[in-house]
Amino acid sequence: MRELTMKLTRRMMMGAAMGGYLLSAGAAMAKTDLTFWSWRQEDRAFYTDMIKKFQEKEPEISVKFETYAPENYQTILSTALAAGRGPDVIQVRAYGNLETIATPGYLLALDKQNVPELANFPEAALAAETLRSDGKVYAVPFATQTMLVIYNKKIFADAGLKPPETWDELIAASQALKAKNITPFANGTATAWQNETIVAALLSSMLGKQFEEDIASGKANFTDPRYVNALSKLKDISQYFSPNFIGVDYASSQQLFAAGRAAMFAGGSFEVANFKAQNPGLDLGVFASPVGKAGDERLIARYYDGGYAVNAKSEKKDAALKFVRFLATPEYGTTFTNALKNLSPIKGIKIEDPLTQDVAKLADNSMSYLMLVRFRYQEPSGSVLLQSNVQKLLAGQQTPEQAAAEINKGIATYYKPFQK
Amino acid sequence: MTLSRETTMSRAISFGFLVQIILIMNSFIMLYPVVVMVFSAFKTTAQIFDHPFAVPDFTQVQNFSRVLGETSMPTYFMNSILVTGTSIVLILVLGTMAGYAIARYESRTNTFILLFFLAGLMLPLKLAVIPLFILLRDLHLLDSRWSLIVTYTAIGLPSAVFIMAGFLRSLPTELEDAARMDGASEPRIMWSVMLPLALPPMAIAAIQNAVPIWNDFFFPLVFIQTDSYKTLPQGLTTFMGEYTTDWGMLFAGLTIAAAPITLLYIALSRQFIQGMTAGAVK
Amino acid sequence: MPVSPKQARTLKHRSWVAFLVLPPIVFMSLFVVYPILSAFAYAFYEWRGLARGEFVGLANFREVLFGATMAPVVWNAFSHNVQTLIALMIIQNGGGFLLAWLLYKEPFGFRFHRVAVFVPVVLSTIIVGFLWKLFLNPNFGLVNQALLAVGLDFLARPWLGDSATALGALILANAWHFIGFPTLVYLAGMQRIPSDIIEAARLDGTSEWQLLKTIIWPLVAPSTTILFTLLFIGAFNWFEIPYVMAGLDGSPYGNTDVLGLVFYRTAFGNQSASIQNFGQGSALATLIFLFIVVFASMLTLWLRRREIQF
Repeated sequence: MRELTMKLTRRMMMGAAMGGYLLSAGAAMAKTDLTFWSWRQEDRAFYTDMIKKFQEKEPEISVKFETYAPENYQTILSTALAAGRGPDVIQVRAYGNLETIATPGYLLALDKQNVPELANFPEAALAAETLRSDGKVYAVPFATQTMLVIYNKKIFADAGLKPPETWDELIAASQALKAKNITPFANGTATAWQNETIVAALLSSMLGKQFEEDIASGKANFTDPRYVNALSKLKDISQYFSPNFIGVDYASSQQLFAAGRAAMFAGGSFEVANFKAQNPGLDLGVFASPVGKAGDERLIARYYDGGYAVNAKSEKKDAALKFVRFLATPEYGTTFTNALKNLSPIKGIKIEDPLTQDVAKLADNSMSYLMLVRFRYQEPSGSVLLQSNVQKLLAGQQTPEQAAAEINKGIATYYKPFQK
Repeated sequence: MTLSRETTMSRAISFGFLVQIILIMNSFIMLYPVVVMVFSAFKTTAQIFDHPFAVPDFTQVQNFSRVLGETSMPTYFMNSILVTGTSIVLILVLGTMAGYAIARYESRTNTFILLFFLAGLMLPLKLAVIPLFILLRDLHLLDSRWSLIVTYTAIGLPSAVFIMAGFLRSLPTELEDAARMDGASEPRIMWSVMLPLALPPMAIAAIQNAVPIWNDFFFPLVFIQTDSYKTLPQGLTTFMGEYTTDWGMLFAGLTIAAAPITLLYIALSRQFIQGMTAGAVK
Repeated sequence: MPVSPKQARTLKHRSWVAFLVLPPIVFMSLFVVYPILSAFAYAFYEWRGLARGEFVGLANFREVLFGATMAPVVWNAFSHNVQTLIALMIIQNGGGFLLAWLLYKEPFGFRFHRVAVFVPVVLSTIIVGFLWKLFLNPNFGLVNQALLAVGLDFLARPWLGDSATALGALILANAWHFIGFPTLVYLAGMQRIPSDIIEAARLDGTSEWQLLKTIIWPLVAPSTTILFTLLFIGAFNWFEIPYVMAGLDGSPYGNTDVLGLVFYRTAFGNQSASIQNFGQGSALATLIFLFIVVFASMLTLWLRRREIQF
């Protein structure tokens, strides 16, 4: 009986294979099925589209796109990879998060041989997907994120204001808005990570590229006057945040700005698409953090969101590499940027949306989104330290000096250049 | 004499008055937030902000139809029913088996078995979630409804064993002995003589476990990643994240999530109270 | 040797009993005993993600209790758990006792009040957390709006953002959620007091207060013991309300951090720290666990002794 079933199954399978062979009329290879994991549930339509485009070029490869909730993505991914399973192509995060899965050897190292398209990327983008211990690149970067100020053009025009260039102008503009009973900044500090984005969006120009270099070399640490001074400026401007800002969480501040009840939002460029979706009528502009004194270099804070990687244990590496190479082309970058209003780091892309063009222009002059890029590799992470101490500073529970000292103390426990 | 009785009476009346005020205030505090939740579900965000206390126009059901139509809430709801239902069946079956053996058969190991389950009653399994996570991964149950079902069954089993053993022990032996004389087999005695009598404690064990299982958030948070396997509490966090700025939708989602168990409670309040306090009331 | 009928019967009998007890025991062993024992074992190893590394002895425990990075966080969280326990003991269990006593007198409408007080208990903690988070919103929430409406706007504040009120707000939300439970447990305890005791005391001219102090309170002592033990376990496992209302970081700046949040962050990571450490997580879980078992049993024994004295 069992034998009969097996025979039958085998015959049926052969029949199916033959049929498939006849139908595909001369396809030389069997179809390769790739799986592709991502946490970008909201981008499903875009990726489905791109996979179709890819298949027009590579008809013998099919790609299955699967998404997981962002807050659990890292856990489910490392679980699958530790068990020797997982997808062929993986959307991974950058910096410290990349290290946790690249260090155990779960990802295939990429180079100019297997992915010539790496030449399409700026160095800083590749650095975000590089393992510090072996200097190899493990993923093709997919998005540049910037921290800047988003403003409501209509409110600014009605109040007769121009986007400020210096810190004093920003204070003056905020005063003018407040006098007209308009909330200048929608921001609140109740959600911890918002404090980190606010610092980067408002203070980058005042800190300056030199500060970042000095931190990297150990010439300066976070108790540096430049840092303390910037934090005290932040404390000054916080009186123009939304009413009761210490109790206003991320969602409430988004809502305030999207409803047109506040003039500015200090945060990530990734918010723009979100605001537009909630209120298509909004006329938005962006500007980089104001400078301390006229003539200083204006900067935004930049980081790379993550990349596309190949599973080292995949049995279909060749097909997976073909797909990843496709995700590294300027054509892909152009579609990505225009469809998702999210800046691709690939050189030579053509941007349609004027606001995204502005973001891209500002991104030319940038420093790192410091804590994520440099201090999220060990405990206590620079991000956690910055978030809680700035939250405390803005609540009036500690001075800028104290906040800077606390941040510095935490990082110095593992960061060698600070231990001298 | 009359005077003192009058003062006692008037003191009793004013005391009774105070009791009334406290109880009415307390019930108001308990119920009013729920009422506001339901009212707000019929409003737009702007109406909630501008008239938070107003009684809404109850014909405005857009929020509800959107929650049911365009979100995964119905899926979460089905998962909650599947997970809670299956867990309760398993808890009752396994709990009755162990409880029956402990209660109706003399054995030296009985005390030991009872202590074994007693330990399970005290230990918070939450703290063993890491090994549980790895165990479920190795059994390929992670990110499935079964991961929750086995966990909840393990948590609920001890209390069911206690309730069942306690009740079954109190039953007289006459019935059993009579059936034995008639030559009935042990399984038969259990199934057709004893168990029909044990339905009330089963109901208590079921309610006592069903409410916490239905409401649990921690284990799905750790075990479930795929949206289509999420239960109501975890799904609710996803939903609250998606509609974070639309308060009308948020309140409608909360109302829909709270409705089934609240209505059931109002209909069966005596059984609910008895079941849920069963562990703490001797 | 042939099996005698009696032996055959006991054999059959034994296999029947085994059939009844083995599945539940195996189930419990696999999904409760084994994970709990493993949690202890895991705490002695170093972990790289989900892969177990080297045996490191007590290093994880040392880091959790005394390490420069972990210890301040853990002790800060612990102090919040203790504050929560004390506050809930007074508000939730004490308030419950008071309400039970009022209901016990069966005043007008007591059936309604009994059902009403238990409504929040059946709601999911997640629903309760979200509901109060929305109500406590500083600018649009019901609480501040209500204060404004009755002219008490000087009391309005950003409850969840202010370090002075954040933990208190979470504790009150929890008390709202669960006060019905101790109320009805105490009520059941009071109703079990033989009515002749109460009547005899009344005839002796005992005042209400005396009655409460010398008769009712001592006689519901068993309920007090159980309710306190449950509250103790609950307070040191506290997770859902802080998670929903204050976030994984215990915002603002650690003022609502509790051991449950620290454990979850350590074991499963959070967005702002890419580290996932099963070893330290297990060590923390083991310590919480031992703390609960040792203290809960000591307290239970002590409270039980008190019960007998009366």
